[in-house]
Amino acid sequence: MTALLQVFFDALSLGSLYALGALGIALIFGVMRLVNFAHGDYIAFCVFAMLWPSIDAAAIVFLGNLPAWVLIPVILVLGAGISVLSEILVFRRFRNANPATMMIASFALGFVIKYFLLMLYSSRPKSIDLWSAVSLPLEIFGARIPLLQVITIAVTLVILLGLVLFLKHTRYGLEMRAAAENFTMARMLGIRANTVIMMAFALSGMLAAAVGLILATQSGTADIQMGANLMLVAFVATVVGGLGSLPGAVFAGFLIGGLSSLMQAYLPPDARPFRDAFVYGAVIFMLIWRPNGLFTQKSAKQRV
Amino acid sequence: MQRSQTILQRTLSTPVILIAILAIVALAALIVGTGPFNQTVIEIFIRIVLVVGLYVFIGNSGVISFGHIGFTCLGAYMTAWLTILPAMKKSKLKGLPDIILNAKLHYGWGLLAATIFAGLCAYIIGKVLMRLSGIAASIATFAVLAVIIQVYSNWDSVTGAQSSVVGIPIVRTVWPYFACAVLVVIVAYSYSISRSGLALRSARDEAIAASASGVDITRERLIAFVISGAMMGLGGALYAHSVGVVTPDTFYLNLTFICLSMLVVGGMNSLSGAVLGVVILSSIIQLLRWFEKGVDFGGSIVALPLGVQEIAIGVVMIVILMFRPSGLTRNKELSWPHWPFKQLPAGRSRAPTG
Amino acid sequence: MSLLVVDHVSVSYGRLKALRDASFAMGEGETLFITGPNGAGKSTLLKAIAGVVTPRQGEIMLAGHAIGGKSPEAIARMGFSMVPEGRHVFGTLSIEENLRLGTGMRTDKDAAERDLEQIYAIFPVLKERKDKPAGLLSGGQQQMLVIGRALMAAPRLIAIDEPSLGLAPKVIDDVYVALLKLRDTRGLTLLIVEQSATRAMMTGGRMILLRSGEVALEGDARELARSDALRNAYFGIEEH
Repeated sequence: MTALLQVFFDALSLGSLYALGALGIALIFGVMRLVNFAHGDYIAFCVFAMLWPSIDAAAIVFLGNLPAWVLIPVILVLGAGISVLSEILVFRRFRNANPATMMIASFALGFVIKYFLLMLYSSRPKSIDLWSAVSLPLEIFGARIPLLQVITIAVTLVILLGLVLFLKHTRYGLEMRAAAENFTMARMLGIRANTVIMMAFALSGMLAAAVGLILATQSGTADIQMGANLMLVAFVATVVGGLGSLPGAVFAGFLIGGLSSLMQAYLPPDARPFRDAFVYGAVIFMLIWRPNGLFTQKSAKQRV
Repeated sequence: MQRSQTILQRTLSTPVILIAILAIVALAALIVGTGPFNQTVIEIFIRIVLVVGLYVFIGNSGVISFGHIGFTCLGAYMTAWLTILPAMKKSKLKGLPDIILNAKLHYGWGLLAATIFAGLCAYIIGKVLMRLSGIAASIATFAVLAVIIQVYSNWDSVTGAQSSVVGIPIVRTVWPYFACAVLVVIVAYSYSISRSGLALRSARDEAIAASASGVDITRERLIAFVISGAMMGLGGALYAHSVGVVTPDTFYLNLTFICLSMLVVGGMNSLSGAVLGVVILSSIIQLLRWFEKGVDFGGSIVALPLGVQEIAIGVVMIVILMFRPSGLTRNKELSWPHWPFKQLPAGRSRAPTG
Repeated sequence: MSLLVVDHVSVSYGRLKALRDASFAMGEGETLFITGPNGAGKSTLLKAIAGVVTPRQGEIMLAGHAIGGKSPEAIARMGFSMVPEGRHVFGTLSIEENLRLGTGMRTDKDAAERDLEQIYAIFPVLKERKDKPAGLLSGGQQQMLVIGRALMAAPRLIAIDEPSLGLAPKVIDDVYVALLKLRDTRGLTLLIVEQSATRAMMTGGRMILLRSGEVALEGDARELARSDALRNAYFGIEEH
């Protein structure tokens, strides 16, 4: 029973991270059909922003010294900032380009951000100590659950709830949902394209910042690659969920997180190293079963 | 007679021009003659094989594949298995079947086996995946890559897991690489003007109209997938023989994105785009590497700080795509009577209707 | 002064000329029918006015202001409301959300609420199902929804592309009855594109016939719809 509970919390907290990442990608895909491969690098950027630039192995904490109630908003704003800035400097010029071109442009942008960080901080991972108190375990029904997992799950739920409220009950949310479904039609109703797209980038950047904060607290390190792996899973989750569908992205994020945790716990030890291979194998079958994703929008299908 | 000549001319001019470009690159290696430059040229030819391999599938089908580097990994390990000295294999790769364990083949056989093996795997995988289109197909191919890399990174007794497999015979002369690049260009061009290539491109531009005209999209895609998978396998084997060492990590996302970038920057719907993308981006990278090492400007040595090379190449790519969203060649082919560009049949861009 | 002036406008898609040197004007309160066979450039004309495609030549003026180079949202904010071909409801949004989308640029929120009630009064089925996803509506109901949505913007000019496309004749009648009721109660300026000219008999107003991207005929809608000139123009028979 306690083992099961532990797996359950592992699955939920891993799924939370994937869901937040997938949401960040789905938001932008929804409004401009861009798969933003730079998203993972926004995550790394936000983490490194807490450190003072230096190529020494020892990290010099900079913003990270601020009290949490200042640090969190500052990092969120930074995430939104770099995301909006990349839209203004780069993606705006690719509005009419085909998806492959946009994707490669986003990859090139991520490359630039990554090596910019590398130049300032070197490629060595650095230890970073954020709120170490939250890694203490918590007793829940006899299972020892790290407090951080509980916080991760709680934070994710709060973010999801906030996003739902924003999308369902504000004017901007309404416009964003409309633009995600049919951008041209939305514009013909007077909805400003630039405003909606910048809003989506800002939200997506804040999600990257949130993921960065959670990851940094969890691992206690700042690593230039830290966003990349999560970004890939998140990208897969967005497609499995049904591109453009926000609930789909969240659901698929939790699904893949859950699947990974379950396999980690219950695969025979010999097969455990191949866990990710099984997960991706499952992804292939999911796509063949449902090529348009689990949550398909009717309007996304091609009509003849 | 006059007419048939111009058709012949039109058909042949693109591959001839592309091969001439490759020959110039090879000659440059011969003239400069230094070891590092030689290695750079070999690298360019390997990338030509890989990017042209990508073009055969992506360019003709319009489906972006993130998974092709998986076939490169398969090819590289296949030639490693066949050409490493049996004694070394017995200590490191004990799990291999006996027939492979005792084999010590010439690298030429290694290349051939790698090509066939990768093509075969592409056939099996393609059978399952080719019914998918668009972004679902892209993700599925990525999942294939992830599965291949995960298996090769963990199957200790057969692939040495994440440690490097060493002892692959190294081939340092440019010519085998040049020959493979030329071969791949010829095969890719022949495919793109073949009935299957035409059908696939028509399906790329107008899927519904093409399938209504009797084009079996799944089947044509599978043909392109197998040919391109085989080429990727060959590229992997060439890579293995160029450096003598393979690890699974080499064949993951970085290589995937470098190859995809070269294709898109060149122009992903044209073979000329694939070749030019490699040659131009590789040249820029090489130039930046020189600057990174330090260049003598009238007595004072100017060196770029580490990381600037990558940042510059990223910026260059973004700028090229901003001004040429469909790539440097604008998806057209190099050709002679209409120098520099012509359009392949069915390679036109779509005109909006309504 | 004319509300809309289309002045020697040409639009090309690559090498294909979809619209050649089209010119016409319409005044406030007028109903203008644009008709013509497939591929005559009708939809292209509307897209050019909406700012979705950019004319290669010529000028379009809305209420005295040139719209050349303006974005679709800027043109919408100048008082142009477009109902494009194929309806384009936001299927995942509720019916009421669809309607409210049109009001984003209005400052007179009270009047917008009154407009909403008025639209619900004319299309009661929309009110009954206002919280349901719009994608669940039938084709005719969707057509009514998009017309209602366009009206919610309180436009000076409303353009509708093929309101009868894909609808049953009975439903087309309903759509037109509602449209005319709206026109007469609110003094709308209407620009309607239809492939068939018969509906013009019902609405009256002026009619323009486009053929191969050019304005081939212009005149009173009822007269033209009845005359042979239209049929000849459709079939390409030159008048001598």
